[in-house]
Amino acid sequence: MRSLKGVYFALSARLALEIRSVLLRTIRTKIIKIYLLRVYGSFCHKSKQDEELGRRRIEYTARTNDKVLQKPCKLGSPKLKENNMLSKISSFALNGLEGVAVQIETDINKGMVSYDLVGLPDAAVKESKERVRSAIKNSVLNFPVNKITINLAPADIKKEGSHYDLPIAVSILKASDQLEADTDDTVFLGELALDGGLRPVTGIMPILISAKAKGCTRFIVPKDNANEASYLEGTEVYALSSLRDTVEFLKGERAFKPVEHRDFVATQKENNYNYDMSLVRGQKTAKRALEIAVAGGHNILLAGPPGTGKTLLARCIPTIMPDMTFDEALEVTKIHSVAGELNEEGIVSLRPFRTPHHTATTVSLCGGGNNKIHPGEISKAHKGVLFLDELPEYTRNALESLRQPLEDKIITVTRAGGAVTFPADFILCASMNPCPCGNYGSAHLTCTCTPAQIHKYRSKISGPLLDRIDLQVEVDGVKYEDLSGEGSEEPSANVKARVEKARAIQRERFSEENIAVNSNMGERQIKKYCKLSKECEQILRTAFETLHLSARARTRIIKVARTIADLDFSEEIKPEHILEATSYRSYDTSKL
Amino acid sequence: MTYSRQEIDAIVIDSFEELTYKNKCILLNCFKTPFANLDKNTPTLIKSLSEGVYNKVKGKFSDDAYRKKVLSSLEAKNVTCITFYSENYPEDLKQILNSPIVLYCKGNLTLLKSRCFAIVGSRRTQPNILRECSKISGELSDKFTIVTGMADGADSAAIEGAIHSGKIISVLAYGFDYAYPAVSEKLIQKVEKSGLLISEYPPEIPPRSYQFPVRNRIIAGLADAVLVVSAGKKSGALITANYAEEFGKQVMAFPYSMGVTYGEGCNFLIKKGANLVENPLDIFEAFGLDYKPTEEKMELNSDEQIALAAIREAGEAFAPEIAEKLNKLPHQIIPVLSSLEIKGLIIRLGGNRYAAL
Repeated sequence: MRSLKGVYFALSARLALEIRSVLLRTIRTKIIKIYLLRVYGSFCHKSKQDEELGRRRIEYTARTNDKVLQKPCKLGSPKLKENNMLSKISSFALNGLEGVAVQIETDINKGMVSYDLVGLPDAAVKESKERVRSAIKNSVLNFPVNKITINLAPADIKKEGSHYDLPIAVSILKASDQLEADTDDTVFLGELALDGGLRPVTGIMPILISAKAKGCTRFIVPKDNANEASYLEGTEVYALSSLRDTVEFLKGERAFKPVEHRDFVATQKENNYNYDMSLVRGQKTAKRALEIAVAGGHNILLAGPPGTGKTLLARCIPTIMPDMTFDEALEVTKIHSVAGELNEEGIVSLRPFRTPHHTATTVSLCGGGNNKIHPGEISKAHKGVLFLDELPEYTRNALESLRQPLEDKIITVTRAGGAVTFPADFILCASMNPCPCGNYGSAHLTCTCTPAQIHKYRSKISGPLLDRIDLQVEVDGVKYEDLSGEGSEEPSANVKARVEKARAIQRERFSEENIAVNSNMGERQIKKYCKLSKECEQILRTAFETLHLSARARTRIIKVARTIADLDFSEEIKPEHILEATSYRSYDTSKL
Repeated sequence: MTYSRQEIDAIVIDSFEELTYKNKCILLNCFKTPFANLDKNTPTLIKSLSEGVYNKVKGKFSDDAYRKKVLSSLEAKNVTCITFYSENYPEDLKQILNSPIVLYCKGNLTLLKSRCFAIVGSRRTQPNILRECSKISGELSDKFTIVTGMADGADSAAIEGAIHSGKIISVLAYGFDYAYPAVSEKLIQKVEKSGLLISEYPPEIPPRSYQFPVRNRIIAGLADAVLVVSAGKKSGALITANYAEEFGKQVMAFPYSMGVTYGEGCNFLIKKGANLVENPLDIFEAFGLDYKPTEEKMELNSDEQIALAAIREAGEAFAPEIAEKLNKLPHQIIPVLSSLEIKGLIIRLGGNRYAAL
């Protein structure tokens, strides 16, 4: 009897399948087809699906070797409760360096199977569908076969980037009743891999900072972003490695510790610059100029024959700048995080030194982009040094675009999609050869350029740009004795100490102004803080006549003289300060 | 400005771009005795010109409209012409080989009658030599009119030294419509205003490389003596000196130390017997003139004095080297050097090297 019964069931199931396939072949209307599939699914298809899921779960357990995976997820197509088909998950969007709260709302309805993502998603967000589907499947969960509508609210800002994968996945799981947990005060950020793993994303630091300001303190981020998230105090960040982990963590099945807070100062101490002033032999004049430039935040132009160490000197500039404060580091990290250039440390603890090649375009220097506006090199050099090697080789447009940021210390990049403001407070260090052949002024080599050629070469740099470079220094050729000599050179640390003292004087002086260093002084502040004695005025007057200085050089000389006086701990600007300042204007005189 | 018939003939003939200097001379001789010799010379002219050009030139020459056009365009450009047949054509230039047919002039014509002294040199001249050059030029302009070119470097320095006195003649190697090098445009205007600009080329002739050495014969021809302040082995200044020698003028040159590329030409001239000139006194003595050097006493502090002495001793010195002599830190020497530079006692050569003046 029993065997007969078995045969009967087998036959009827076989028959049902046959009928279905015949019907599917003959019926052309899609709706009826889908209905048929549903009906049959209830008594023959479902069992197969269960079997399949069970197999996958075993495979997954074997693969992850995860002993904690005790309670398997409820298998089978999720049964939807009528009253709980909507879920809301918090995440953040990036607008420049500002995080904007985004709600991910998922609604799952009975109806035709579909997946709609609305709320101005860009291509990367739209593609999340496939990643989310595979990630859910491979995390031994079910991707609902229903009508799914996902809304990224507010609907009027553009959503870019891949960090919506995790919140979308969690939102779907919640809406489909596979995850019952309180997620209201948690912010989700992360990109999903097809196997359900979490991949690192860019912009964690700025989002965290903005979210914290808005009162959000609990975050779930990819494990690889843990370092970046560990410096902010007062946040509870969980760095997880997969969607499965996230689900289990939210359900309370597994406990994870929040990311441990890391001390910025400790990290900073671990890191050291690769260069040091003591590596530069000779070049006493140029070193002195660098010291002044850094002390007063002045921009500097190094001119000299090829191979005299201009680049090496420039690389030493960050080493004599005061250490970054935590706030400065956060600001810089924000920019580097958005640009996706953050190192493993997760924070920029050393002053950035950016060297864009002279083929750099205006956009790459200033920032821009089609949809997402990326920070440019000048913003990446924020609080550090922007080094432009071979200045005359840069395109005129690129150079002229630097004028406004050099003045305002910020850059507003405007595109059709909106405007974004990035900070760009950097010391510009430029280098150039004195003439096309490079030997002008060299003691041993003969320059083969005519004055007209030299003039043409130098006039590639516009007056207004030179105007913003307070110190223009000639780097002399190094003698062999200097290179091979035993004499010890002053290490960066000593110079840095002097610079810090000079900066302290300036901070005190400008405590009531909104500037920090001498180079930022405007006409009014120069009048107020740089009073010149009669003797100094006389020197300036004579210098103008004999050296053919341009009118704009006056302001620069006074500013530099102020910094030299600060380095000298002198309250007033003395004649020798003015005299030294006049010597750093070699490229100002148009006469050759 | 009114010109005689002969002068107009010369100006019109000079305006034909297709004619060489030699052809122009033949034509001029033909026209001296109107058309009498023309037929005799026709075969030679046609041989070197081709018949088409010859006929065109002949037609244009007798075309009144063309003649008027040439004259009025010159007048519009404010150019005065002095032809070989003019009364005020400099006697010195008549003596030389291939005297220019027409001198196109802009500025103070009376300078042509004064005693002239040429200062020429290379474009690639060191700043300290340039300073010296303009100093000498300034002092010589008391007694002479300075004749030079319009290139940058030594020529410009000579102009700058003499421009205050207004006694400066600059001989261009191209028409007045052009400015070469482009940077010298302002200088050209300055000379036009207070001195005299001369060119043997009609205004519409652009600068061409072969015109420059040819121009040098005018500089040498005008001047009583030529001072070469700097010259490489193949410098144009040497060509001027050669002409001067040919024309029997005195040649003078600055001395240079061995191995200085831009001074090799000068030393070569001295070897050949040119007068060695170190200061204005040498020049005035050669002409038997009185010279009282104007000594300016500068107040220098002890540091400045030591530094200046150190630079004078070494000829040129690096800032750190001077600092060593003064037992100071390198950055402490910068104000001292700056002060000396402002006072005009030293000059920066580039690369933090300084030379005394």
